[in-house]
Amino acid sequence: MEQILATTLRSAAPLVLVATAGVFAFRAGIFHLGLEGLMITGAFTTVAVGDATGSVELGILAAVGVNLALSALYWWVIGPLGANVIIAGLGLTSIGLGGTAFALGAIFDTRGSIFTDVVLPRPVRGITSGAGVIISDLSILVWITPLIVLAAWVVLRRSRFGLRLAAVGEYPFSARSAGVNPSIVRLQALLISGSLCALGGAELSVGALRNFTENMTNGRGFIAFVAVIFGAWHPIGAALAGLFFGFADAIGIQSQINITERVPREFVLMIPFVLTIFAVWLGGLWRRRSLEAEAGYAELREPD
Amino acid sequence: MTAPSRSAPAETPAVRCRSLGVSFGTVQALREVSLDLAPGRIHALVGQNGAGKTTLAKVLGGLQAPQTGDVYIDGRRIPPGDVRAAQIAGLAMVHQHFSLPPSFTVAEALELTAARKGGRSFFRRSELHRQWQNEVAELGGPTMLSTRIRDLPVETRQSLEIVRALAGDARILLLDEPTALLTPAAIDQLFERLLRLRDEGVTILIVLHKLREVAAVAETVSVLRDGELVLGPREMAEVSEGLLSDAIVGPAFGTDRTISMAPAVKPTQETLLELVGLSSRESAFELGLDEINLRVESGEIVGIAGVEGNGQRSLVSVIAGLAPVAEGTMRLGGVDATRTGPAGRRQRGLRLVPFDRNTEGISRSAPLWLNQSALRLVGRHRWRLPLISLRQYKRQAAEDMDTWRVRYDTVAQPAESLSGGNVQRLILSRELSPGLEVLVAAQPTRGLDFSATDFVRRSLRELRDGGAGVLLISSDLDELFELSDRLLVMYGGRIVARFDAPYDRRAVGDAMTGAQR
Repeated sequence: MEQILATTLRSAAPLVLVATAGVFAFRAGIFHLGLEGLMITGAFTTVAVGDATGSVELGILAAVGVNLALSALYWWVIGPLGANVIIAGLGLTSIGLGGTAFALGAIFDTRGSIFTDVVLPRPVRGITSGAGVIISDLSILVWITPLIVLAAWVVLRRSRFGLRLAAVGEYPFSARSAGVNPSIVRLQALLISGSLCALGGAELSVGALRNFTENMTNGRGFIAFVAVIFGAWHPIGAALAGLFFGFADAIGIQSQINITERVPREFVLMIPFVLTIFAVWLGGLWRRRSLEAEAGYAELREPD
Repeated sequence: MTAPSRSAPAETPAVRCRSLGVSFGTVQALREVSLDLAPGRIHALVGQNGAGKTTLAKVLGGLQAPQTGDVYIDGRRIPPGDVRAAQIAGLAMVHQHFSLPPSFTVAEALELTAARKGGRSFFRRSELHRQWQNEVAELGGPTMLSTRIRDLPVETRQSLEIVRALAGDARILLLDEPTALLTPAAIDQLFERLLRLRDEGVTILIVLHKLREVAAVAETVSVLRDGELVLGPREMAEVSEGLLSDAIVGPAFGTDRTISMAPAVKPTQETLLELVGLSSRESAFELGLDEINLRVESGEIVGIAGVEGNGQRSLVSVIAGLAPVAEGTMRLGGVDATRTGPAGRRQRGLRLVPFDRNTEGISRSAPLWLNQSALRLVGRHRWRLPLISLRQYKRQAAEDMDTWRVRYDTVAQPAESLSGGNVQRLILSRELSPGLEVLVAAQPTRGLDFSATDFVRRSLRELRDGGAGVLLISSDLDELFELSDRLLVMYGGRIVARFDAPYDRRAVGDAMTGAQR
């Protein structure tokens, strides 16, 4: 049981980071379905560049760079070129999943997965109490994730940039009449979003693990997407939702270890997903706010 | 004062534009418009729908870049299509559509839109409220700073738009049809406010629809017609109402021949539509109905007045059968229709001109003939095979549209290719078909120009004279006064007052704001 907390934090950190990325995009009015793709390019680039240079910092920097470029591409396709946001987002996810699998073969001449020696620093070896080890072996990114969430809250809710971002997402005309260029604000939001996805991916590959595996994100980008909606597009709400999904994941992992002899493995693997569906249903019951948000979405159409 | 006259003899105009031209595709929205507005005065801009008023306002405000021509503010040229530059030069705009995001609090919205220089990037909520409390003092004080925009009444939203516009020390204020959603009392307040601002030296350009309002507030008037300035800024004292309306409408005023409808003739008075204690649930967008009692008899037009958003949309949806009834009864022609579906109600003679003609009144991408024939597809010809003859439908549709003078090229073109007035004619040609007993007309003339408006109003009158019943829902008091035999006022989902002609504008206006008398 003492491992549950550590496992929860380890599972939740990438989700929370990517959910925060999603909040930035959502608030700017972009239904960002490319989170999954950006997450896996982040995971892969960190491992590839980190392994080549021997420096995890350079790896993360490169991952952020790659994601900035991909996010700018996404913006160009949905903005100036006017492509459908959802289809372009799914395309971005396909590029990420397929591209990393391809690069794995092309660069490392292997299939499946690669292991690496570079790893994120672990500032705290372990916290123990009378009962035993409570938290052990968490990467530095897990520790600073709450700070990132807090920073996101300040930027989105207590800055003029955040107000412009929300105005662009809710009612672009109001931004335009205030002298704001909605297209530029969307680009800024996507760039922030891409960088956070890179961090989320990096935590997955060199924080919680020490390898890169094809499709290792395994739908986490989409779960983060759900967390954004579940958290009512609010940075804190989305982070709590991410934490909850991390907890669900941890239960799955722990019970897999403990009870696989009695319960079929497939059932145990289902637990996080069943909990996710349940939580989304529950969220819908609680909050009428999300309905209002959807109603607000109709106003995206600009009056002429 | 704004523009201290730098050169003594000729005062620099506060706003000057030279040969502005804007075209959207093949439509020329503005043609060689040149205009000088003297500082410190109230200028009115009038014209029909589609005359280019809003486009001109947008060009001046920097929201629309013109293809040709220049805009000068206080003698300095403003880069085209740059909102920020216009704001810095001292020009602020109050838009026809509200420009504040509905989910923002008042303080957030002001902070977003105010063109203040040197504001800090990050803020605390308390700090924000302290900064803005003076600006909103006369609107309800500091408590309203944390109210969300969507929870504000229309008048307050309008006032807030002006507060926002003036927050950046604007010396030139541009108002694009600010009176469209306001009650008479609120319009008076707005005008008083504008006069005060004028006295403080603010130059005002106000786009208006009604000559009565122009006469009430403006000092000079300019008229746009088909994108051209046909009457330069002229002193109000110099122009007569006749001259103005001639300038607005233009010389060749094509008259419509009247269309004689043949509705079911009712020699005796008969109740066609009756709502008894009708209530409905509120939806995400609109108030519910609260114990509505009303009846529409044959040969009368019953008007429903009220500020938009007080349940009128729910009323139309419930009568049409598109929204469920929570309590109460609805009768059509004396027979209970509370549980009858939309098609069944149509068959009993109910016809509908919906609020939003482009989304509710037509199927935008469907061809004209299908839009026109939609009612014929409902439940008729039961004795025949459920097959239709396309040729016959198209021919019939073309005939009906010709009768109603819809202007179109072919019956196969999509309905969205028609202009607003033509779409309304199309809807009328469909709804005012044989079998009509009672017509529910929601804002039937909104956004239509003079001749189309006149046409619609005449059609409604003829319908009434032919013995049909009409329920007319409108936010245009002049229209209601002109057409209605009786007038009901909706407020907060209820009917709060009933009036008979002749109407007292002030009393009706008070009832619309929910004021107790």
